[in-house]
Amino acid sequence: MKRLRYFIQRTVLSMIQSPLLSSATIGTIAVALMLLAFFTLIVLNVQNITQQWSRDIQVTVYLERVPSTTKLEQWQQEIDEHPMVENVTYISQKQAFERFRTRLGQNEDLLDGLLPEILPASFELSLAQEARNERGAEILVKELKKNPAFSNFRYGQDWLKRYDAFMFLLKLTGTLAGGFLIFATLFIISNTIKLTIYARRDELEIMTLIGATPMFIKIPFLAEGALQGIIGALLALGGCHALYYFFLKKGLSALLTTTTAGNISFLPLPMQLSVIFLGFLLGICGSMLPLRKFVRI
Amino acid sequence: MSMIQMCKIAKIYPNGAPALHDIDIQIPSGDFVYITGSSGAGKSTLLRLLYCADRPTRGQILMGKRNITRLSPRKIAFLRRQIGFVFQDFKLLLNRTVLENVALPLQVQGVGNEETRARAFELLQYVGLEYKTQRKPLELSGGEQQRVAIARAMIVRPKLLLADEPTGNLDYCLALEIMDMFSRINREGTTVLVATHDKELIQQNPRRVIALKNGHMLSDSRPGPDIAATNTSTVKSREAL
Repeated sequence: MKRLRYFIQRTVLSMIQSPLLSSATIGTIAVALMLLAFFTLIVLNVQNITQQWSRDIQVTVYLERVPSTTKLEQWQQEIDEHPMVENVTYISQKQAFERFRTRLGQNEDLLDGLLPEILPASFELSLAQEARNERGAEILVKELKKNPAFSNFRYGQDWLKRYDAFMFLLKLTGTLAGGFLIFATLFIISNTIKLTIYARRDELEIMTLIGATPMFIKIPFLAEGALQGIIGALLALGGCHALYYFFLKKGLSALLTTTTAGNISFLPLPMQLSVIFLGFLLGICGSMLPLRKFVRI
Repeated sequence: MSMIQMCKIAKIYPNGAPALHDIDIQIPSGDFVYITGSSGAGKSTLLRLLYCADRPTRGQILMGKRNITRLSPRKIAFLRRQIGFVFQDFKLLLNRTVLENVALPLQVQGVGNEETRARAFELLQYVGLEYKTQRKPLELSGGEQQRVAIARAMIVRPKLLLADEPTGNLDYCLALEIMDMFSRINREGTTVLVATHDKELIQQNPRRVIALKNGHMLSDSRPGPDIAATNTSTVKSREAL
């Protein structure tokens, strides 16, 4: 208990007694983690937006002939139970005709004299999350083709190809930039902590001379590193929130459509906790390495 | 009883530089010994071996009855709790007060706060700095800083006090004052080893002198009117001469 009190007291006092070194470490951790958190925030929101786009991916199955109501319900149920299908809607010939008329707008009179039977009935399938890509759509279509009554399929092949290519590029850029950013963050933080511990190497030497055990010397430094990491991470989250609020939410809302801007959100709570935990880990690990070097009895 | 016994000690640094050759020394408990010699003679290396900052390349060192040649880091830490250190550059923590600096060794040993503070204050009275407990080291003169270092060394009631050029940064008057303090500590029963190259200081306060040159022991002599007590012996060797 006495020891614990000493360690807590030492951790806090040492930060107060070396304000410049502490601020340098906390500042570096805050800036580095803020960049990382902001990058994650952008990646997450881009993912959200692309996920919304992917909801528009659907397969339309045109029917050769309109079957009996029983048959129709049976097919609809079969399709609905397929694991790659999220939802299925039957569009009758009349509904298709009305929809076409609406789309024509001012030119709707072109349809005058025509009957709804000119258009085929269809099933519109929205895909399950994991099937929202070109390959998923193709697999589903291949399976549906087994039913000879399904004459024709449309699933926006060209659009899907472009969507897939875009997603691949996005993931590649995200991984490369994220990897680089994580590496740079680790490098900067560990070097800053190393420098601050180097600046206090006299203190480490004196502690070893007066008979402190290696653990007794290291614990306050590790605790200090952890505390600085947590404070830095909290500041990083604060800074990231400010960037999110002023740059993403307010600033970009003018550039993006209303619906998309409304969907830009801050890091979810588990991510925020992860940033704090990362700060804690970086503080401890960043201190551990130089301490191993400098605490030599 | 021997406080320190060094048998055939040699130290060669990893870069191949030899620092000590075949040193045999016995220091009885309660002795006051000067380790002297010019720069590079091996004085500091000898002290470093005694507080286990370095390990000898050959030979054995006994402290009391304990062989300290190959101790684990943890055991070294516990050994150092029985030794007081005083260095030329004082080695004080500049961001802590005088009282905190003196109290540090007892804090490390887990002694209670009240007892630590009381003992630190007592030691500061002993060195005459009880009015400067809340000052930071850089607010003190060199002599005062060295007195703080001595108080810190004495707070653990050490059996052995090691001082490496303790007066190197001080003027002559202050140096004499510090040496008086060491004599007082020695009279109270602590074995004192002072590494110094200052011959004038040794003449002012004559005690047993172990002279080193290029890592060899040149002589081990005791002063005094009784010549029989003087044990001057040329120990080594052609290379040293």
